[in-house]
Amino acid sequence: MNAFRVRQWFGVIVAMAMLAVPLVVTDRYVLKVLTFVGVNAIVVVGLALLFGFAGQVSLGHAAFFGVGAYASAFLTGTLGVPWLGAVALAVVLACVVGWAVAVPSLRLKGHYLAMATLGFNEIMSVVFVEARAVTGGNDGLGNIPFPSIGPLELRSPTALCVLVWAVALAVALAARNITLSRPGRAMRALHATEPGALAVGIDVAAVKVRVFALSAGLAGLAGALYAHAVGFISPSSFGLDFSILLMAAVVLGGRESLLGPLAAMTAFTLLPYSGALLPGIPRAVAETIQDWVPDLVGLTVVLTLIVRARGASLRFATRKQAEAGEDS
Amino acid sequence: MSLLRVRGLDKRFGGVHAVRDLSFDVHPQTIKALIGPNGAGKSTVFNLLTGFERPDSGSATFADAELIGLRPHEVVRRGVVRTFQESRLFDSMTVEENVLAGMHLRLRASMLGAAVRAPRVRAEEREARVEAAHVMRMLGIERHAHRKAGDLPHGLRRVVEVARALAARPKLLLLDEPAAGLDGRETEDLADALLRIRDTGVTLLIVEHDMGLVMEVSDEIVVIDQGRKIAEGPPLLIQKDPAVLEAYLGEVGDRV
Repeated sequence: MNAFRVRQWFGVIVAMAMLAVPLVVTDRYVLKVLTFVGVNAIVVVGLALLFGFAGQVSLGHAAFFGVGAYASAFLTGTLGVPWLGAVALAVVLACVVGWAVAVPSLRLKGHYLAMATLGFNEIMSVVFVEARAVTGGNDGLGNIPFPSIGPLELRSPTALCVLVWAVALAVALAARNITLSRPGRAMRALHATEPGALAVGIDVAAVKVRVFALSAGLAGLAGALYAHAVGFISPSSFGLDFSILLMAAVVLGGRESLLGPLAAMTAFTLLPYSGALLPGIPRAVAETIQDWVPDLVGLTVVLTLIVRARGASLRFATRKQAEAGEDS
Repeated sequence: MSLLRVRGLDKRFGGVHAVRDLSFDVHPQTIKALIGPNGAGKSTVFNLLTGFERPDSGSATFADAELIGLRPHEVVRRGVVRTFQESRLFDSMTVEENVLAGMHLRLRASMLGAAVRAPRVRAEEREARVEAAHVMRMLGIERHAHRKAGDLPHGLRRVVEVARALAARPKLLLLDEPAAGLDGRETEDLADALLRIRDTGVTLLIVEHDMGLVMEVSDEIVVIDQGRKIAEGPPLLIQKDPAVLEAYLGEVGDRV
């Protein structure tokens, strides 16, 4: 019990320290980048639950991110819905779209599920361009109102960053709690073996759909926060490349981990801004890094998978030997 | 009065007639063994009873409710829980987590409740851990509670699988070759555990090749060959049944 208390307090201190970061940083540009870090953290936590824990692939999360962003922007900017209500509706919409995608797609497995969600992302990319009345098409949607609750409006980069990080922290904590109890065990169980999960009474199909909807909802939440934080959104932010980057972060971060994907996604988010964030770095180097980000990400994923496959086979070999030893 | 009443169960896979017009009963708080040569259709019977496969015809009434047509998790909800011939443990989870997963249907925590760690959820989780410890102690695996299931040797895995099934508090427990790959001492321990489980009021139906174990623990035996029932009765009669001896000829030497 005491150890638990200590850990709880430790967690509180870490959380406070993290929320203090945006207050210490004064550079507007850096604050903006840190805001992106928080936004992406929310999406990647959702995807980690879906893929890292439940084992279900999605190459369509950028689209859910987009649904949340456009929905909240449209509701506040065009329809004049109050911010908090608009964000809530955007999350619900992303959940519902996620549910609608999940019900037919989750009958599929592995590559087929990847293809189905990839197709969904491509369809939504077209929708974001063509539904001009809502999205503004390729020109994008601007003048998105700042977050506001009643008379209180958050417009300073510091306030926006603290808001996003606070939400990200809450989401990460909630996700961690889920993974440690009944619904989390159900997710991990069906990932390990579906017949095994069925045999203990887990409604595998229902759990998959629920996790997918939750995960899509979190992407939608991140999208809504993103839209209000930057004030301008366009279809290029919600393309397949972002979906792939998210999956790469979860693959790199490891199975059944939240911190891993969070760390990987943070690195991916900061990488393109290395020139601005590291003052000493020569301009040419920074530009090269920026140009090669997708290649660096791809290379890291491939290397990780190779190393991990070798590690796994090593582990497997030692276990076999141990068993053989016990038999004799 | 029977707890499970199987009538006219029939299943074909293409040209193979896996289960033919099979009928038998399982009485409350007994251990019934389902035996037969390899490929006799024993595992298929388990799959048919637990919703993993649909029979072409036939019925299985459990405590006056029909099992056929239910999906696997709905069968568990009725109190019928199975294990597999090939281990289906949750390898990335600890032994304790496997047992807790076995209690899935008896716990209530939703995603939302779990996310905010509602007091109700925390209390439920605490109680669940106490009960998981109890189940593990009953099967003598409590000292492995925090080991990953994937790291366990074969014999222990079989026991964890029984523990996980038991955690669902089944009324009827279906064990598919629980002694497969166990050594002599482990099999002895398993026999004791099965009798203890029965004495807590659970009814068991086991598929098993180890005839020593079958004869020691079962109250009744049903023998099938090529999907068809060839004998049914108490162990002592089955051992002398000419039809059974013939079906087992060739296997009889090393098994009985």
